[in-house]
Amino acid sequence: MSRLQAMSNKAKVLLGLGLYLGITIVLLLVAGNAGKNDAFQPQNEFKLDPWIDINVAGIDLSVNKAVLYLLLASVLTIVTMVWIARRMSTDRPNRVQMAIEVGYDLTRNNITGGNMSPAMAARWFPFIAALFFFIFFSNMIGFLPLPVNTEHKVDVFGLELPSFALYAATANLSIPLVLTLVVWFSYHVEGIRAKGFFKYLASWLPPGLEDMNPLAKAFIFVIEAISQFARLISLSVRLFANILAGHLLLLFMGGGLAVLLGIAALGVLTFPLAFFFFILEVGLIATLQAFIFAILTAIYLGGATAESH
Amino acid sequence: MELLGDIGVLLLAQAEQAEDEGGSFLVSPGLGLMIWTLILFLLTMWVLAKFAFPPIQRALEKRANAIRENIEASERQRKEADELLEEYRQRLREAREQADDIIARSRKASEAAVAEATSDGRAKREELVAAARKDIETETRRSLEQIRREVADLTVLATEKVTRKTLDEADQRRLVDEALSEVDFSALAGNGAEERR
Repeated sequence: MSRLQAMSNKAKVLLGLGLYLGITIVLLLVAGNAGKNDAFQPQNEFKLDPWIDINVAGIDLSVNKAVLYLLLASVLTIVTMVWIARRMSTDRPNRVQMAIEVGYDLTRNNITGGNMSPAMAARWFPFIAALFFFIFFSNMIGFLPLPVNTEHKVDVFGLELPSFALYAATANLSIPLVLTLVVWFSYHVEGIRAKGFFKYLASWLPPGLEDMNPLAKAFIFVIEAISQFARLISLSVRLFANILAGHLLLLFMGGGLAVLLGIAALGVLTFPLAFFFFILEVGLIATLQAFIFAILTAIYLGGATAESH
Repeated sequence: MELLGDIGVLLLAQAEQAEDEGGSFLVSPGLGLMIWTLILFLLTMWVLAKFAFPPIQRALEKRANAIRENIEASERQRKEADELLEEYRQRLREAREQADDIIARSRKASEAAVAEATSDGRAKREELVAAARKDIETETRRSLEQIRREVADLTVLATEKVTRKTLDEADQRRLVDEALSEVDFSALAGNGAEERR
């Protein structure tokens, strides 16, 4: 013990890394390579099996894992926000209230207030704040292990129970996409309401093209129109891909890669990284993506109605 | 490197497999889920807008007001305290001035009293001295007169005894004057001068 204490920090780090690699190598020699595992399908962690079949007018409204997560996100958002709102203390707020207040202040003054006129901010604040909190809570519960994995069941005293798994509703393209569609139609409608249909379309053109010939102008208009449609993809895929990638990373680092490749030693190498990525995802990505989605919504809305585009 | 290549090939193979299984479900949006999302999001938004955001806003405004009021109140109190302090300082200064004044006045009064007493004493003494001198002078003059008379009588008597004749008026006067001029009264006068001092 005293020898360990006498070592310099550099030596300690080197010793730690040596042990880390040493255990991996020893395990690699002992366990060896079990060969590729074709039975394990990592993408099936994100597969949506219908749990309760519901079919309305030919549309499949079956309740599945994503719907459960959406429901959880919705309930968690409503319960947390309303609960905090009801017992708002004006003189001595606790930490949860402080966090919610920071989020509220961020959505109200920074995201909404900073990107549009006060009148518009007052009208659109509930929408943008709801987007922020809904996506935030949805991302966050994605990092709680819940018994939702029906692909791999656990046998508990003869009961087939779903195993614990991480899943996020936002790791599903449909969910960001429909939110994006709402945003997209909202800002176009706002733009047309503020400026009139043709003037709004004309406002897509960047300023400084007044003396350009009409053909070139038309060409630039087409590019701008494409960019408007590209927003549909960029806004939705940014959120979806970030959360999906984060969960895949956690899945692979947390042992998925070792199982997939059949090399147990790899698990030793990747497992500490899983902790690192978990902290990164919970601490940064979950909030950041909610923030980006909300602030882009505010920017699109503000841009569509701004006088000089 | 080889390992990474393996992973890549594997994922590709599995993606293809998934494709075979009936579309890549990871990136294909489902209408049912979209409807669920829309319903749940709109519900959440409605509840938040109705029951969460207004109370939070009110509470934040209330707190902001409370803080502003507190700041204003504390500023007011500080101003009052400053004024009070200034007033006390002023009063202290006045009290000190008054004290100084009182001391100066009493000193002056005592000095005046002392001076008055001194001058009174001096006047009385001088009066007494003057009275004494007057008494002495009177007494001296009377003594001198008596001496002079006795000297004159003695002179006349002595002369009559010596000359066996009675002196007439004129002789008597001349003799007395001569005798008196010879008698030295300066010692008496000198004594009188010393006493005066």
